Amino acid sequence: MSRCAGVPRRFFLLLMLAGSLFIAAGSLAYFDFETLPPFVVEKLPLRFETLYLFALRVHVASAAVAFPLCLALVTRTLQRRPRLHRWLGRVAGVVILGALVPSGAGLALAAKGGSAGTLGFLLSGAIVATAVVLGVRAARRGDLIAHRRAMLHVVSQMSVAVSSRALIVAFDRAGLDPDVAYVVALWGPVLASVAGAELVAVRFGLAPVRRALDTARAFFADPSLKGIHREISPLPAPVRARAGRPVARVGR
Amino acid sequence: MLVAPSLASAAESLADWVKHRVDDGLVKPLARAESKRSRFSRERPPPAERRVRVLEASAATDKNGHTFVPFVVDVRYGLDWDENQIVGCAYRESGNLFVKAGNEFRPAAYLLGKRAEAVPGVCEAAPPPSRS
Repeated sequence: MSRCAGVPRRFFLLLMLAGSLFIAAGSLAYFDFETLPPFVVEKLPLRFETLYLFALRVHVASAAVAFPLCLALVTRTLQRRPRLHRWLGRVAGVVILGALVPSGAGLALAAKGGSAGTLGFLLSGAIVATAVVLGVRAARRGDLIAHRRAMLHVVSQMSVAVSSRALIVAFDRAGLDPDVAYVVALWGPVLASVAGAELVAVRFGLAPVRRALDTARAFFADPSLKGIHREISPLPAPVRARAGRPVARVGR
Repeated sequence: MLVAPSLASAAESLADWVKHRVDDGLVKPLARAESKRSRFSRERPPPAERRVRVLEASAATDKNGHTFVPFVVDVRYGLDWDENQIVGCAYRESGNLFVKAGNEFRPAAYLLGKRAEAVPGVCEAAPPPSRS
């Protein structure tokens, strides 16, 4: 693999890290307990104002921890240190499932854009929570390929925080109605992140279809099987292969 | 003939006073606050322009006997004006500004993030006294 192969990945990680820090810096206003931030003022009157403000602060604080942590966890540096990766992954998982997603779900109920805004945020949160659970379960059973695929979805959904804000700014410059822009800038990145994560998974052989095709390709490329390819059916080849499956289960 | 121009002039000066008062007390502070905040957020982007419209040519009186003039603020995003984004009233004697939030009126400072509770009875014209 060429040295340039990792450039888009590094560029993405640096861009997201910069975006995450920018958002965190801009969110400091939410911790001024004397003044209500404009984001809250424009939603007033809120039925549960105190609860909303609490959820907002929890969400902002947990995102400021979880997003950079997740970005760090997908770097090769941390992946080469499995013990540290595991522990930081546990911290990220607890923060995401214990604070980020529940507070985000609460905020989603009062999201701008009506039910379209609410559904968009709930969908993004559901994808993150599901992917974290699936990713942790995959890691615990030693299926690192499935783990990487799940965590790809976590990071890409978190990147919506940055891409969505960037789109809001771009739409504002283009003079688009801010209410329409808000919903488009939410749903676009949420769906694009799902598609993008799956495309990357297929590209790097993390998706089940790609893994099955790779298995089949390896099977037919095996020189020791030359001559017998035509005599066997290729159908068993796409059977899903599991990395690191315990040998004891074979032939049960 | 002499009375009509003076009435028109009084009405014009009242509308001008409300416009200036809303401009100084609400529109300019909002623009100042918006210029300081990060654009990279989920907050509604600051509008390209705001305009104040005075809804009544004469002042109304609330149930406490204070005179007020209702106004609205329209905002422009791109080419389109979004009308009545802020609905409120300006009190003639005190210069106090109130804005509508839901079904109640709060001091205009609440739009700048200051904690301000709803004030009952403001910006609502008192019913004309019944003649018995």
